[in-house]
Amino acid sequence: MNINANWLAAPVIIPLLFAASSLLAATRVNLRQMRIQRNLALIASVLNLGVALLLLYTTVIQDQRMVLYAGLWQAPFGITLVADALSAIMLTLTAVLMVTIVLYAIGTLDQREGLNFHPLLLFLLMGVNGAFLAGDLFNLYVFFEVLLMASFVLLSLGGRPGQVNGGLRYVVLNLLASTVFLTTAGVVYGTLGTLNLAHLAVRMEAAPLTLRIIVAGMLLIAYGSKAGLFPLFFWLPASYHTPHPAVTAIFGGLLTKVGIYALFRVFTLLFPDLLQAWQPLLLGIAGLTMLAGVFGAMAVNTIRRVLSFHIISQVGYMVMGLGLASSGNQLAIGFGLAAGIFYIMHHMIVKTALLMAGGAAELTMGTGQLKEGYLGGLVKRFPLLAGVFFVAAFSLAGIPPSSGFVSKLGLLQAALDSQHWMIAGVSLLVSALTLMSMVRLWQKGFAGKQHEDVLPPPRRPIYGFTLAPIIILVVISLGMGIFSDTFIRWSQTAADQLIDRAGYIEAVAPTDIIAPVSMDH
Amino acid sequence: MPELYLALLDRILTPILLLLAVVFLLAGHNAPGGGFIAGLVVATAFLMQILARGDSFVRKLIGIYLQPAMGVGLLIALLSALTGIGNNGVFFQGVWWKLSLGSFELEFGSPTTFDIGVFLVVSAFVTSYLLELSRPAEGAAR
Repeated sequence: MNINANWLAAPVIIPLLFAASSLLAATRVNLRQMRIQRNLALIASVLNLGVALLLLYTTVIQDQRMVLYAGLWQAPFGITLVADALSAIMLTLTAVLMVTIVLYAIGTLDQREGLNFHPLLLFLLMGVNGAFLAGDLFNLYVFFEVLLMASFVLLSLGGRPGQVNGGLRYVVLNLLASTVFLTTAGVVYGTLGTLNLAHLAVRMEAAPLTLRIIVAGMLLIAYGSKAGLFPLFFWLPASYHTPHPAVTAIFGGLLTKVGIYALFRVFTLLFPDLLQAWQPLLLGIAGLTMLAGVFGAMAVNTIRRVLSFHIISQVGYMVMGLGLASSGNQLAIGFGLAAGIFYIMHHMIVKTALLMAGGAAELTMGTGQLKEGYLGGLVKRFPLLAGVFFVAAFSLAGIPPSSGFVSKLGLLQAALDSQHWMIAGVSLLVSALTLMSMVRLWQKGFAGKQHEDVLPPPRRPIYGFTLAPIIILVVISLGMGIFSDTFIRWSQTAADQLIDRAGYIEAVAPTDIIAPVSMDH
Repeated sequence: MPELYLALLDRILTPILLLLAVVFLLAGHNAPGGGFIAGLVVATAFLMQILARGDSFVRKLIGIYLQPAMGVGLLIALLSALTGIGNNGVFFQGVWWKLSLGSFELEFGSPTTFDIGVFLVVSAFVTSYLLELSRPAEGAAR
């Protein structure tokens, strides 16, 4: 089955179309308007999921790449959208998260908080989808900006002082990273004369080593700070716990992973040699990121802060996969990369589920404080919520048969196979510490007893709409663990396509008419 | 704070600015100009109104239309990008219609409607931004 290349534009068109339509419904502030916006967002996210699954089928199952030249402008000149297996996997995960977050918002957002939440969510979706599909550096930058702007407004929606504070740090540090990114794009265009990724992949091979090192280093800094890598992660714990739990949940699931996706894409496509040469650097960053995240999680005391620090430590595992991309001994080359991709899949699902469950607990109790006696007793009061939190937490920590176990096992195998004992040890240690941290959350937050005098009884009930998306995500996570062979096969396809650079270049087929600017100066 | 000389100037300048915006908008495809620039010029005209007659006047006049105008503009831009898909074309492909009026030939295409969409988004967005900026300034003066 060959599908029309125009479908590639759909993940960008659908959110934009529905977001623009919801702006029409925003003339007056009342309950009806919000309901219209919500229904539009629900329709958009379901349609988007459908398109993402179509692309997943074409690229992963049929092992193809899809390319769309917008306006029929050939590759290095016009806007090129490219989808390969990795893009499609990321699009599908994003689509699943979007559907669940819209459901979760029905259960948790009240009228005032809900105003314009849904159009912004759709703009965010458009930015994220666009970043996964972008075939050149500049459009990647543009879509990064789209998602950054949407996420900044989402962060400060509601306008409490803590939110504005967190939002400012978020936007300043992310804009700084964007500036580095844009500067890099300028350097690339000034020296190599192109921004198209496939075209760059051709020209980067002939470029002098210093240029490659400069570009790769600057991109590592830009994407690394967006992904929350050591030592540029500090914006994340400063801001993620401040907005509404629905916002935290979607941010925790999505945003850092866009940076990780960009790292995977750029390093495998443009700098395969540096992937080898910089292996100690990448693995070092990965290890330090894991450790910093997990130690940070021990030092903070509210549910969502703990979970935000765990995002950082988890991102380290994904970079570990990237670091192991080019080495293999008994296992095939690319197994580490596949394990990293599988880890992304597992993490996006489980982290969102955890943040949703933790956020629901915070909302209903009015606090996320983990000190003795503030929370607690949730097991008895909301057994279902506690149950899904339990399963998700142990999936994060990597207890079989969850997806966390399989993904960590894959990375560990890849590390041991290529005899990287240090990173293998660190990943095991961090895994154990994560388990400890999850046990702490469980003991202080869910089990135990709440002191009667500390807080009044729960503020609001937990609706079915709050629980349903968490249950869906937890079931997906368990499914990924139990039927892991399918998902590992998909990740392997994605990894193979990433390593097969010639295939990517051939698919995009940039015409090489314009000569690169001379590199004398 | 309405200013007398601005209120006088505004009667001369606003029509000029609006006409200029139309020229920029239609000239835009192959010559300097375009929807973005025309939108900025229109926003300048509204800025003139804000300075001459106060922001509450402008807000009453167009305030509730700004957000829907952004929506309409986005939809127009998107739909004109989508027209390319018809006739086995590609997303964003230009579609041109020719209108012959004797010796005079008029060309009108989806890039033009795309520009009109951009024009609506930019003018509405920048105007609403200017309105928000002028709000605290006026409060501080009182």
